[in-house]
Amino acid sequence: MRHHQSVTVLLLLMSTQGSAQQAASPEQETIQELVQQLKELQNRVKELESHQPIASSTQSAPAQMADSRPPAPEETSNTQLPFLPQELHELRGIQWRGFGEVNYKVLNQRTPELGSYGFVPGSHGNFFTGDFDLLLTSRINDKASVLAEVVIGEADAQRFEVDLGRVLFKYDYNDHLKMSFGRYHTGIGYYNTAFHNGGWLQTTADRPLIMEFADDGGPLPTQAVGVSVTGLIPSGGLGLNYLAEYGSSDTIRLDLLDGDIEDESNSNHFDLGVFARPNILPGLQVGGSIYHDQIQDSLRGGVKIGQSILNAHVVYLGHGIEFLNEGFLIRHAYEQSSTVFNMPAFYSQVSKRFGRVRPFLRYQYINANPGGFLEDIGLRHGPSFGARYDFDDNIGFKAQFDHTLRRDLPDLNGLHLQLAFTF
Amino acid sequence: MQTRLAIAIAAVWIAGNATVPAALSQTSDIAVVVNEKNPVKNLSSQEVRNIFAGDRRSWPGGLPIKLFVRAPDAHERAVLLKLLGMSESDYKNYWTAKIFRGEVQSEPIALFSNGMQKEAIKAYPGAVALVNMQDVKPGMKMVKVEGHLPGEEGYPFN
Repeated sequence: MRHHQSVTVLLLLMSTQGSAQQAASPEQETIQELVQQLKELQNRVKELESHQPIASSTQSAPAQMADSRPPAPEETSNTQLPFLPQELHELRGIQWRGFGEVNYKVLNQRTPELGSYGFVPGSHGNFFTGDFDLLLTSRINDKASVLAEVVIGEADAQRFEVDLGRVLFKYDYNDHLKMSFGRYHTGIGYYNTAFHNGGWLQTTADRPLIMEFADDGGPLPTQAVGVSVTGLIPSGGLGLNYLAEYGSSDTIRLDLLDGDIEDESNSNHFDLGVFARPNILPGLQVGGSIYHDQIQDSLRGGVKIGQSILNAHVVYLGHGIEFLNEGFLIRHAYEQSSTVFNMPAFYSQVSKRFGRVRPFLRYQYINANPGGFLEDIGLRHGPSFGARYDFDDNIGFKAQFDHTLRRDLPDLNGLHLQLAFTF
Repeated sequence: MQTRLAIAIAAVWIAGNATVPAALSQTSDIAVVVNEKNPVKNLSSQEVRNIFAGDRRSWPGGLPIKLFVRAPDAHERAVLLKLLGMSESDYKNYWTAKIFRGEVQSEPIALFSNGMQKEAIKAYPGAVALVNMQDVKPGMKMVKVEGHLPGEEGYPFN
């Protein structure tokens, strides 16, 4: 086939030489000889091809390249039609995809802290599996599909719990109206809907604390059951999209310091968001959202709190660069009193790929009021830095160092190693 | 081996001594092709990018877009990656993430030849693919990009 390619290239080149050859240069004789040689080679190639079996869909890449020449009509009808139905049939049935990780984490103190993901509170360091994630998708018809994300997470003492992270019936009417019904990750922030439970997709070994899942100590209602609608807003080059969600989140939080379980008993929520992906800079996304529901402080007699969460984000992904920035304002207004807590939080993460290595730096900040519903979080801020090394497109290794400053508590240093994979 | 060497030397020699006509220099243009019944006639470069990035998934009127791309190493694949500003590895990870977010069910079907792309375009009303303009055959409809057809001055994809 390589002969054939070379011959084709040479013929193309020579076919353009008509006018030049009319000048009868001294090299004409040489060219004539080469043309003769080419004709002989062509005949040999034809002879060889006539002995080859019909091409199959499992050809190697070089063979595929060679087939980029214009196929003769009879070639198309004789060799391609038989395998097209297998190649191009609609993807029916259930498609599976998996994500897994193995972690080692070490802290510089024994004080219980972030006893989640299987990390044993009170230990200097231990291994744990984190989340094992199975993603199932199935197309029902051209517009309807089903998605489910089953997460098997490690709890304390190597107990494993199964969580239905997402189960969605999706109906995409068109680009302007895409509906999802079921359990979803709320559009409360960019990170929540970009990475879900897939640790392999993340550059860092863990999520920013403000975007951590509630059952791992995160402060926000990251999961809910209800309806989510999104789509494009006709806006030309601005690339505006909207997001509207209505549902029940019923968040159960893990207290970071003592491991208590706090059931927020959330009322139904709404979440409205808008974001732009301007044509002028592919990879840029700028947007924000507002979320509102009512929660109950189960540790303080079930007092009701109006919870509003504002988000703004600026994200750029392109040319090997990842630049994530999100800011939040969590507002808790206590009913039957004038107590209002405004708790700001943000994280900023930047990374750049250099071949297989992607060094990263993240800084995060969260300031929860003492005496408030999230007082176990308190004030925490500090950098995380490290690198991700991709062995190939499916296996990555991450090494991350965290330094966290805490109000009224000693600084916390941690090293987190993670082998993440997808299959 | 000697024959191959002779051909290679001859090709280099001819290429070095010839004046390639302007028309030939445009034959590497990559056409955006759709099913003959698709009414779309013209797209902007950004629209083409959005389509092949999976960000736009339906044609005007609601017909779902069905993406077909060439397998790695084909020229059309190189043009696709250039259009998206991605490496082969980036491309794979990009679609993995898109599947995980539930935005698509699978990454675009990669085909091994333009002949297969032709059959796919004919078979699916919402199909779209990138095809070397020399390989565009009856049954495929070329779409203008920024008002230009492949081979015309100002056509952006080659």
